Amino acid sequence: MDRFRNILENRHDYAREWKKRTGGRVLGYYETYMPEEVAYAAGALPVRIMAGHRADDVTDRQMYGNCYCTRDMLRQFLEGDYDYVDGVVNTEGCQWMYNAFQTAVNRRPGLFSHYIFVPDYTDGRTSKDVLKSELGVFRGRLEEWTGSAITDGALDAAIDVYNENRRLLRRIYELRRLDRPAILGSEAMGLLLASQIMDKAEMNVMLRELIPEIERRAPAEDGVRLMLIGSETYDVELERIVESAGGNVVVDELDNGSSYIWNETIPMQDRLMALALRYLGRPHSALKDNVWRRRPQRIYELYEDFHADGVVIAKQIYCHPHGSDMYAVWKMLRERNIPYHTFERDTTLPPSETRQRIEALIGMIKPGMTRLRGWSEA
Amino acid sequence: MSSQIWETRPLEIWGKAKELRARWQRSIDESAAAPGSLLAHGNAGEIDWSVGFDSLNIVEDNPHGAMLASLSDEYARKCRLASETRGWGRELCGYVNNCWGSMFLGYQLDGSGFPMRDMSVPFPDVCDQHTKRGQQCMDYSPIPRWGGDCTMYLGPYDPDREKALVEHKVQCTLGAINDIERIFGKEFDDEKLVKGLGARPQMEKYGLEITRLMARTPAPLSSKELYSFFTIGMLTKVDPDEALGFWKALRDETKWRADNRIAAVGNERYRMMEAHPPAWHYLKFYRYLEKYGAVCIGSQYTHTMSGPLELKEDGTLGPRTKNAPPPDRPVRTREDALRRIFSTDARGPQVYKIDEYIRPRSISEFATGMGVNGAIMPLWRCGVGCTLTRKEQALQLNGIGISVLHYEGSQPGDRTDMDERRFLDQIDVWMEGQGFGKLED
Repeated sequence: MDRFRNILENRHDYAREWKKRTGGRVLGYYETYMPEEVAYAAGALPVRIMAGHRADDVTDRQMYGNCYCTRDMLRQFLEGDYDYVDGVVNTEGCQWMYNAFQTAVNRRPGLFSHYIFVPDYTDGRTSKDVLKSELGVFRGRLEEWTGSAITDGALDAAIDVYNENRRLLRRIYELRRLDRPAILGSEAMGLLLASQIMDKAEMNVMLRELIPEIERRAPAEDGVRLMLIGSETYDVELERIVESAGGNVVVDELDNGSSYIWNETIPMQDRLMALALRYLGRPHSALKDNVWRRRPQRIYELYEDFHADGVVIAKQIYCHPHGSDMYAVWKMLRERNIPYHTFERDTTLPPSETRQRIEALIGMIKPGMTRLRGWSEA
Repeated sequence: MSSQIWETRPLEIWGKAKELRARWQRSIDESAAAPGSLLAHGNAGEIDWSVGFDSLNIVEDNPHGAMLASLSDEYARKCRLASETRGWGRELCGYVNNCWGSMFLGYQLDGSGFPMRDMSVPFPDVCDQHTKRGQQCMDYSPIPRWGGDCTMYLGPYDPDREKALVEHKVQCTLGAINDIERIFGKEFDDEKLVKGLGARPQMEKYGLEITRLMARTPAPLSSKELYSFFTIGMLTKVDPDEALGFWKALRDETKWRADNRIAAVGNERYRMMEAHPPAWHYLKFYRYLEKYGAVCIGSQYTHTMSGPLELKEDGTLGPRTKNAPPPDRPVRTREDALRRIFSTDARGPQVYKIDEYIRPRSISEFATGMGVNGAIMPLWRCGVGCTLTRKEQALQLNGIGISVLHYEGSQPGDRTDMDERRFLDQIDVWMEGQGFGKLED
């Protein structure tokens, strides 16, 4: 677990070292709808551009009213943190992400850059054809950039590596589902985040060693089981605060959490169509959950499956996809009498204020929990 | 006015514009109650396919929400609170929160019942809020809603990418039309859609002539007038023939004014542009600018009436060169008509926003073509479709010697954080900083 934590905390060093070791190219991406398999098949390392926590005094010149994540992504680009990135890719999604992407490209015009249109209307009759076509264009651009063809064999191998990674991380989620989980929410989220910046083949080897170790662990102390939903997150601070308040985040419905790994690519003769179906069929992001709604039901199912006791909704301020989808989530939670607490977060997570909020939520849930009382008596 | 340089006159076409807008508003109010009439949420502005359904009125929440914020801050606040308590982000689109807050309250500003929508049609736009738009009424009533996409890619026109994107747009629209026929038992008149195809380019031709006339000094029209006219025949649904007649008359009057040097602002000595959209509840700042002899000639947003523009070699704005000719086949059916419209560029035709992605230099071209000295660009917090790239655009304008003033606010349909006095102070400093004092006080 410490190895993953180190990689996540020193993610820029990891990518630089990977480049040195393999001679490959690093491709930064902004949205989780990025079809990483195609880039991986081209020999590149897809690395999620992640926000950090540093005071920002540079992006005001280019941005206004954006969420802090995208401001920090741009800040890191402007300050050279991502100087090892050889190219950047954005997929249709949040416009603030687009802003961070486009401005980075404007400032570093020599970068390889590409935009993939992933339909927001994911369930349209012709949406899969659109995405398949876009993947074909992306494949062509990458071939041109690297100077070598992306063979079907390379795509198959990449799909296998990514599917295995998703499968292994789903096993981590199963360990969180236990009555007394052997893994903490902060540890699990750390793995999820690490998977977005690591070479998946390398990570799979490490995960295969790690999972049996976790399975052998003594179960964690009993506590209030919480579910986390809301805007994307780039650290595990919130999960740690929950743990310090006597709770545990046992499941999430985050775009770069469970939604990132939940479904696999089902192999087909037509590889690009298989990938198109995987990305359109993945759990909807808030933005793409717009005609045939899946999010509220999926949230409820996860809540039930993981025996959660309450929900924390952490929304980035100025996050419009979640700000405009939250009413449907609130409605579902209210109708089912599920306790929840919503709060807005900004550049950093104020520890004492956040802790107070989480303690209040846990304090509200705990008295009604016969499960906890029964166990403590036993 | 002692400082008057040019003659000014009221526009003769005001009466007709008011009549058309009032008729449209009446049709919305009546259609909620009239048996057989349908009221849809959305916008068919990209391609007005709704013309094929006689009894269908399509209303967008943007203008409605903006109007509420302008008419009554107190009522608009109640509406937004009704939205917020249901989970809508308090910092999000004021238009949306006002309009659907009114639905949640169940009554309108005048006390009458909220006209519930019968359906929600897609309004594809690069703004993410548009993608989510229409969910409130879909979930609340509930009513059918269709999907669509604002298809997009970066870089030059790419026929390989276009194929699937165009097909997607055609099929999404066809699907909505066919479903409306089936669900509501209404017949779609293909001939009307085909006929309407001819009206739009002609309206744009008139619009382009008006744009070019506004590049003259003095400007015969200003932003204030354009805001009253630029939706007629598009967002404000009017019979295509009548709309065409209106635009021809507006072109004629603008031409007469330009030829006779009849100014929108009698003391014009400074020309400025803006970026979409302004503080709708506070349009009086244009009057304040007139104290400095400044006229606002509009923005890429208001000049959408002219279709996509580009700067020609002679320094004037002209129609943008089309990427691909429309298919060479007769247009007889709704499918033919949709293909004709979408086939020239899957990323059009709402160009003023798409340009921010694919053709960022177009704002400099517009500024050059209109001969402006300065620009006022509002910054709306979390205004994804209203503020995205605005700062980059300002840097670009600075690069060609154009001074830019920014002012801030919550949202164009939300007065909460807009400091009007500060805005006027900013105008004073901005104009004085450029060497212009007030001509009157």
